Amino acid sequence: MVEVAVAVTGLRRRFGRKEALQELTFEIPAGGVHALVGRNGAGKSTLFRILLGFLAPSAGRSAVLGAPSGALPPQIRGRIGWVTEEHALPPWMAVGTLAALQRAHYPRWREATFREVLAPFAVDSRQAVGGLSRGERAGLSLALALAQGPELLLLDEPTLGLDVVAKHAFLDALLFAGEHQECTVVYASHQMDEVERLADHLWVLKEGRLVSASSPEALWERIGGWLVELPHPPDRARIPGLLQARALEGRWEVIVLDPPEAFPKLLDEVGGTAVEPLSLGFDRAINAFLSVGSTVGGAL
Amino acid sequence: MIQIATGDPRPIFRQIVDGVRMQVATGELAPGSRLPSVRGLAMQLRINGNTVAKAYNELTAEGVIESRKGVGVFVCEPRQRLSVEERERRLEEAVQHFVSAVVALGFGPEAILERLAKEMEGLILPSAKEEASDG
Repeated sequence: MVEVAVAVTGLRRRFGRKEALQELTFEIPAGGVHALVGRNGAGKSTLFRILLGFLAPSAGRSAVLGAPSGALPPQIRGRIGWVTEEHALPPWMAVGTLAALQRAHYPRWREATFREVLAPFAVDSRQAVGGLSRGERAGLSLALALAQGPELLLLDEPTLGLDVVAKHAFLDALLFAGEHQECTVVYASHQMDEVERLADHLWVLKEGRLVSASSPEALWERIGGWLVELPHPPDRARIPGLLQARALEGRWEVIVLDPPEAFPKLLDEVGGTAVEPLSLGFDRAINAFLSVGSTVGGAL
Repeated sequence: MIQIATGDPRPIFRQIVDGVRMQVATGELAPGSRLPSVRGLAMQLRINGNTVAKAYNELTAEGVIESRKGVGVFVCEPRQRLSVEERERRLEEAVQHFVSAVVALGFGPEAILERLAKEMEGLILPSAKEEASDG
């Protein structure tokens, strides 16, 4: 098994005048669940497509499981599982036929895992893929990916649009099905509750740049919130590190990156009164971090 | 039964540590009782097993639980494993945290202390004498 699952150096991708990825350089070590978060258009899907060799970068290079993305040999490709939001599978094909094709194609195929993952989704093997619900298709697509015995599993917003029951079945399978504990998981998601449950590591993309790489807790701890009455609307000139400000019944809720210890005093100095600390859950803290349009000083 | 919630101000591993400590303190988890395995609790809570392992490691280091290889995870006889300095440091940190949270709420010290005493009722904590002879 390789030590680095994904390596990216100086990666750029341009679509017309838009820079989807800008000078991306990082390494994802093998093992664990890596959550990749960012707003729409932050570059998550573009990155996945480049990693898998479906899309050429404008500059830079990337390697997956030690092989260059642009020329992944079949034996490496077979060790990468790929699950997308669309769960794009041939609609005319029966589930059983599709599974049989995959079984023949992947030498490490694990039939028991395939059945275990698919079981809670109650999919009949004679059903055509096109007739499955979104949740069933998600289950099938994960079952196919896990049954190939992947070393690396790339998931691009796999639970988007799933109901709670399907989502739970999906997470259960991802976390506990089969013997894929050695597998490195890279999970792109907007669902902060899922990220909180799943992630060992958190990678944040903003406008095609990597702005934070740490444990989920480490980024969370850098973000603080307060309720305060202010004479002026808060802005970054007066409140350094300001991520998000929201007016709430005469007071402002301010969320700040890397607040100094004496932050309440700083609020005092800009005329703040009735200062009250806020307890921020993971979702609120990270969403505030994502909400800032540009790279904030102090971010990586 | 240990419960966790996403969106809580505390990380999930912290919620597990707090939850187990609290159940031990209230006697809900008696010494010798068995906890779910790392995988079992992770499945029950639908979270990453590493998070449970991290919580169990902390509880083990504090002497709250012990893991017997091949047998399971058990609640220990109450015993203090933290140094006097570390216990003092943690108490100080908890008190500072508490004070900063209640200072602006407009309650007087008596009201606050009364509530605190009420909250401590029913917890199995050492008496002043035991505390002096401990650690």
